[in-house]
Amino acid sequence: MFLQILISGFVLGCVYGLIALGYSLIYKSSGLMNFVQGDVLTLGAFLGYTFFSLLKLPYLVSLILTVLVAFLFGMAMEHFVIGKLLKKNVLAIYVVLATIAVQYILQNSIQGIWSTKMLSYPQIFSVSSIKIAGVSIQTESVFCIFMSFLCMAGLQIFMKHTRFGTAMRASAMDAKAAQACGINTSLSTGISWGIAAGMAALAGILLGPIYGVFIMLGSTIGRKGFAGAIMGGYGNLIGAIVGGILLGVTETFVAGYLSSTYKDMIAYALLLLFLFVKPTGIFNERAISE
Amino acid sequence: MNLRKNLSVKNIVILAVLLLLPVLLTAVGFSYGILVCCFSFLYIIAVSGLDVDFGYCGQISMGHAAFFAIGAYGSVMLHTYCHLPVLLTMIIATLLATVIGAIIAYPASKLVFHFLSLATIAFGEIVYSLILNSPGGITNNAVGMFTDPINLFGFSLDTNTKFYYFGLVAVALFLIAKQLMIHSKVGRAWIAIRENPHAANGMGINVTKYKVMAFAVSAFYTGFAGAMYAHLVGYIGPDTFTQKQSVMFVTMMLFGGTGSLLGPILGAVTVFVMTECLRVFEQYQMLIYGALLLIVIVAFPGGIYGEGKKLIARLTKRKGGVKNAAGN
Repeated sequence: MFLQILISGFVLGCVYGLIALGYSLIYKSSGLMNFVQGDVLTLGAFLGYTFFSLLKLPYLVSLILTVLVAFLFGMAMEHFVIGKLLKKNVLAIYVVLATIAVQYILQNSIQGIWSTKMLSYPQIFSVSSIKIAGVSIQTESVFCIFMSFLCMAGLQIFMKHTRFGTAMRASAMDAKAAQACGINTSLSTGISWGIAAGMAALAGILLGPIYGVFIMLGSTIGRKGFAGAIMGGYGNLIGAIVGGILLGVTETFVAGYLSSTYKDMIAYALLLLFLFVKPTGIFNERAISE
Repeated sequence: MNLRKNLSVKNIVILAVLLLLPVLLTAVGFSYGILVCCFSFLYIIAVSGLDVDFGYCGQISMGHAAFFAIGAYGSVMLHTYCHLPVLLTMIIATLLATVIGAIIAYPASKLVFHFLSLATIAFGEIVYSLILNSPGGITNNAVGMFTDPINLFGFSLDTNTKFYYFGLVAVALFLIAKQLMIHSKVGRAWIAIRENPHAANGMGINVTKYKVMAFAVSAFYTGFAGAMYAHLVGYIGPDTFTQKQSVMFVTMMLFGGTGSLLGPILGAVTVFVMTECLRVFEQYQMLIYGALLLIVIVAFPGGIYGEGKKLIARLTKRKGGVKNAAGN
């Protein structure tokens, strides 16, 4: 029981972590907030379903294709909507509202393209469950945790140890100075929106086989993912993962041992608690208050 | 505000039209229009309240559906369980929304823009899930609650036309109160905080106090609008008080234009009528709504009122009337 709850908490936590990582990345690179993440997760789940179950592509290929499509979606959104607005020098609330508008459009388009019914993936692995310490665990869950960690580690290496990652960090730190050094800052902002969307879609295709695919899959997760990002320290990449996992595990344990009625409230209560008491989060990221 | 200026022919005509509108609409056979006006009135109140918070004090709230809900559910529950008369329950519920608003605003006042919007979203979600899964089922959870129309000392506002006049008076009172506040010491403090909180602090304005005041005032407005909604429709359910409702309030405010008297009125009416028209496209309502929102954001960032004023200023300037063109 305990181990099973822990594992499912970790699965959810990894998903929150991936979403929160996207939020932090976007905040670091452009100082903005993006409400589309959750629905990109839904898009990823549906795209993955289409590639894998309808077009009969191998799972890994569909995974890569899904992430690629979402990456392009994120870049396009930054280029055609957010970039346009920033050039006009509008108030920050307009940018937030623009992402909400894109969220509505995306949600409704997904509903129009696919169906409102709940879809489920066919079995992905030949082994349906793995036994760990006498408890059988769904293979998809293990795969979800493994892939999330791989992606998070990959992002850390990309940001810290590659030329392009360094350029991205530089343009996040001081856009003007980075431009003076010859860094294409608008490209690096675009790429960070792309990576954020790609990670959300990855979370979607990993979560789809476990939770099933439906329209509202991502929107709640997207909103709760903010709690993960805040807990870790908004803008901190490692903090986002730690905060996300902590949130997922807490939520699942509360649902498992206390009551599932207030499961959704836990995330928001934690969000408010951290914002009011310790807005810099666990990792003391000083991006937040005045 | 001098009396002679307010009594100009134009204003008397507007007043006469507003007073005769229900009669006119019934005469044309479009009595549904009266209901649309009633809804518009309560949205005008809610959005004007939000405008006090954002347009004048510069504090965003993406969770005002929570205060709308507290006003609505508070009034209905007091009426159902304590059998108090409806107008009294509306006032108590509105005051409750104000107090809760102040309590939330106090710790939230130190947060900057993005994080304030997250905090208010979280607050809105908490109120929503409390309604949906209330302790002991006192809100009837997903089923919702039915209630009675407003009762003005024994005179029941059971038709839309009667509600129309009540709403008209309420809108007038709330807008006058808003103008009086804005043109007082408090209003000037809010504007100073909006322009630069640090400078305002340096001039001896208690920033936290005035931010909390602005938030509480806007909670008061929205709470009252929520109570009006409950007794106009006669039924409330959790679906009305989701995040989408909060986004709708913000959309109405930005669409109309912030920091003005007319902006919220124009925004509330236009967006409400627009969403009513979109009902026809049931399935793609959100898609069209999102697209319109995006177009408006990209095309008129000043809202209808702001862009209209700019346009008029440009036209009069061309005529040479530079004196009248000096907007703010």
